[in-house]
Amino acid sequence: MAALELLSDEGYRVDGRRAAELRKVRARMGVFAQADGSAYIEQGNTKALAVVYGPHEMRGSRSKALHDRALVNCQYSMATFSTSERKRRPHGDRKSSEMTLHLKQTFEAAILTQLYPRSQIDIYVQILQADGGNYCACVNAATLAVIDAGIPMRDYVCASSAGFVEDTPLADLSYVEEAAGGPQVALALLPASEHIALLEMNARLHEDRLEEVIEAASRACKAVHAVLDRVVRDHVQEATAL
Amino acid sequence: GSITTADGSALVKLGNTTVICGVRAELAAPPVDSPNKGYIVPNVELPSLCSTRFRPGPPGEEAQAASQFIADVIENSQIIEKEDLCIANGKLAWVLYCDIICLDYDGNILDASTFALLAALKNVQLPAVTVNEETGLSEVNLKQKNPLIIRKHPVATSFAIFDDTLLIVDPTAEEEDLATGTVTVVTDEEGRLCSVHKPGGSPLTGAKLQDCITRAVTRHKEVKKLIDKVIKSIQPK
Repeated sequence: MAALELLSDEGYRVDGRRAAELRKVRARMGVFAQADGSAYIEQGNTKALAVVYGPHEMRGSRSKALHDRALVNCQYSMATFSTSERKRRPHGDRKSSEMTLHLKQTFEAAILTQLYPRSQIDIYVQILQADGGNYCACVNAATLAVIDAGIPMRDYVCASSAGFVEDTPLADLSYVEEAAGGPQVALALLPASEHIALLEMNARLHEDRLEEVIEAASRACKAVHAVLDRVVRDHVQEATAL
Repeated sequence: GSITTADGSALVKLGNTTVICGVRAELAAPPVDSPNKGYIVPNVELPSLCSTRFRPGPPGEEAQAASQFIADVIENSQIIEKEDLCIANGKLAWVLYCDIICLDYDGNILDASTFALLAALKNVQLPAVTVNEETGLSEVNLKQKNPLIIRKHPVATSFAIFDDTLLIVDPTAEEEDLATGTVTVVTDEEGRLCSVHKPGGSPLTGAKLQDCITRAVTRHKEVKKLIDKVIKSIQPK
């Protein structure tokens, strides 16, 4: 293995965190005037921006409109300067399309689309700096943006990644830990009901271990939920105080 | 300097219009016809998240026109001497990729992009590179970083014209939609003109144009002071 030890003997990770510790999360809502809802989130060094337009009338082909639900349209893109090597194609490549699809599926599960038939909700996510946990930062930012837009959802959607090194599950992986190649799980959870909106796992993991890793990811999601909830309450308090 | 993965970055907010610029430096062989020069490649992106008027897909004409405008400003104002970007004559030079992304579109994208570009370039730290004579390979010294030498500081000022009667400076999106024409004037610190951009629209008298130019010069001074203040405040890093 590489000389980089993901978990030292004392239990510290590469960036000095403990195994179950999350990176510092900072978030702001209502950052843009043009959009119906917007949010900015920083999870450690990963910075993501989400913008929501909607619900509005279907653009483009009317035939794609669903007669009983709203259509959720997502787009995920990464800024060309977001990764340590300049990324040539910000959208349209396979990884981005896959992320876009995952985001769309996750939010279709959470947003109460039955309230807005024949309309469209656009969720655009932009990553300004990528340092691991891109999908998770996007989901968290998009949740805040949807709340900022006033679109009703079943519950917050909180996401976190988790990995596994030497019998210990790690929560909230950074880029270095993701690149090391161990098993990784990305989990999007609706915290109150503990329903899983999306679960994705890479690499091989013994099935006995799966339980532990999912447990670690759920705990991380709940911690994120606490932070996001506070951000929303503070924002609403500020907005209504004026 | 908010984006650590980029070599230099800046975020500019002009009212509601928000633009972020990230500069990445890479090594490449210089062009054959000018072996002692590097290159700067600007790119302006107006993604669909900044406004409902932009559809997802390949860059529209407004984005391409803005990219070309920025390229012209860089060329005409000589903000950086391309010779400074050269490391080894004919073999190795720096290429600066400047990516300007608009995050919130509320008019006057050209002014905001020029400020963001200037601020980001001032923020760039290039590592020292030496070329090993025997092997011909380059050795990058990441520990030792030098800032870029910015020669001139161009600042753009845009105006919206309404039928030759009214002239307003720094238009918002609503004003731009209703305007019958726009003018953008780029000046540098010695009060010299770098570029005047008037893409069609209703005609403007010479006197009015002169008026715009004088206002642009005043604005330049204010903006330069602001940029200097910000750069100084992040200096001790």
